Amino acid sequence: MNGATETIGRDLGRILEALAGLMFVSILVPLVWGEYYAIPALIVSGVIPFAIGYSFRTRFRKAARPGKLHGMIIAAVGWFCVAIFGSLPFYLIAWTVEFAPPVLGEASRASTPTLAAFTQPLNALFESMSGFTGTGLTMTDNEEVLPRTLQWWRSFIEWIGGVGVIVLTTAILARPGSGSLTLYESEARSERIHPSIVSTVQTIWWIFILFTFVSILLLWVVGMPIWGAINHAMTGLATGGFSITDNSIATYDSVAIDFALLPIMLLGSIAFPVHYLILQGDLRNLYTDLQTRWVFIYMGIGTALLTVLVYVGDTYDSLFTAFRYGSFQFVSAATCAGFQTAADTTNVALGRWPAQAQLTVVFGMVVGGAAGSTVGGIKLIRALTLLKGIRFRIGDVFYPETAVRRLKINGRRLDEREVRQEFEEAAIIAALWFFFLGIGIFVLLLILPQGEYTLENVIFEVASAQGNVGLSAGITGPESLPTVGKIMFLFNMWIGRLEIIPVLVTLRAVFDRGGLYR
Amino acid sequence: MNVGDVPIVGELLEAGAEDRVFDSLLLIGPLLILVIALVGRSRLTTGLAAAYVGFFAAYVLFRGVRT
Repeated sequence: MNGATETIGRDLGRILEALAGLMFVSILVPLVWGEYYAIPALIVSGVIPFAIGYSFRTRFRKAARPGKLHGMIIAAVGWFCVAIFGSLPFYLIAWTVEFAPPVLGEASRASTPTLAAFTQPLNALFESMSGFTGTGLTMTDNEEVLPRTLQWWRSFIEWIGGVGVIVLTTAILARPGSGSLTLYESEARSERIHPSIVSTVQTIWWIFILFTFVSILLLWVVGMPIWGAINHAMTGLATGGFSITDNSIATYDSVAIDFALLPIMLLGSIAFPVHYLILQGDLRNLYTDLQTRWVFIYMGIGTALLTVLVYVGDTYDSLFTAFRYGSFQFVSAATCAGFQTAADTTNVALGRWPAQAQLTVVFGMVVGGAAGSTVGGIKLIRALTLLKGIRFRIGDVFYPETAVRRLKINGRRLDEREVRQEFEEAAIIAALWFFFLGIGIFVLLLILPQGEYTLENVIFEVASAQGNVGLSAGITGPESLPTVGKIMFLFNMWIGRLEIIPVLVTLRAVFDRGGLYR
Repeated sequence: MNVGDVPIVGELLEAGAEDRVFDSLLLIGPLLILVIALVGRSRLTTGLAAAYVGFFAAYVLFRGVRT
């Protein structure tokens, strides 16, 4: 056994132990709601990752600290393992209900076709990956009829995944030193709040927990029932988008709830270091921080454009209604929350909006919000770096070769080498993002029934999966999405959450080791 | 009570904005949600929840103006 495997194994063990802890904590929910049949499934679901995690951690406890390569592999494999083991509650509870053993009393009453979908391991894995990555695409037909335990588990994994599984592990199983920093950065984060990475992740959780309470109470005040408020506040702030109702937020059909969710989703799309500074009283960051300023500008422009498109396209008959749905759906897409108010039963579904409106929403999903927040997509900072970098390069022609030029991004003055580095990173991620988006679209076009969905529907759905958004044009579902599509979306969601590169590094390491790569 | 004294998660809860008011809001939050879950929607609980949200927003602004 070489050192790298030991390091990766030890840290994977810690992640699995943390996951087991989440499952054991969740036993409170079936106790409160009287869903006792779910308790054995949760216990078994927790014991398996705990046993594996404990054995890994103790066996490799003397392993070296992770380097950059290890960090990326730990992040990629860790997220995939978490999705696999996180699917156990879905799978085992669904089967528990199917078997309905008499000793578990009321299990048979919870049996529904929606829950039965999770007896297929791929559906359970899809739901788990969608939850942890904060995507929000679902294999359920009707979330309302799910047991409360699974409603909670879906919301809880999105809430945890919003901040990050590794950030959680680092915060709880604190381990000072460079190893934690490597892991922190491998989970698509870079900015620190404090010099210590452990303090940084603890502060991130502190902010996230406080904002969750505020969001729950805000949603309840505007009229949402408390169970809905708890679940939707968690998934809204985590910009995950799982709902406990059949038609997402459209079920409530309430203007107040729609508008109350806007600031919650926006909070989730602003970087945690900025939240910290704002709570410290430094409100200037709302406009001095480049990404935060652009969160508002970008949401404003997108909302205005979408409102005009759906109003002029006669999708809605009043300007206010167009604004209500336009603002919610753009913010929901661009923050990668994926809540839906444009749904069939109450109004015009997103999949039937004009093509240009759907593509505007796709644009929102592709770019996403601020890096260092809970959102997916390419991230605003990369989009801005690309735009500024292109302008900088074009400007080169107008200056003599001897001119010393610097590019200013977010208060930093970058020299030529730094510009090249930042621009290259942004370009690589954007290029990879579009490359895998293209593959996804191609595969979906191949496997979906001809003529059932439009091209904009397909682009919409793949961008939603890879951007970890969760808005659906109606393609994703246990029956409507073929098995190949589910497997492809699993990959899209996974790479989208980790910003692609850690996954590619891991795949290269695996193929290299197996002799397949060279 | 100091948030650092809360069992198990005390250290985590203490790692916030180093402000007693925010710490208090963090501790009061789950209690208020529990009360709402038990009592349900009434004028009192609605008022308490609205006060919590309003106070949070007002205090963030207050800190911003004061700084």
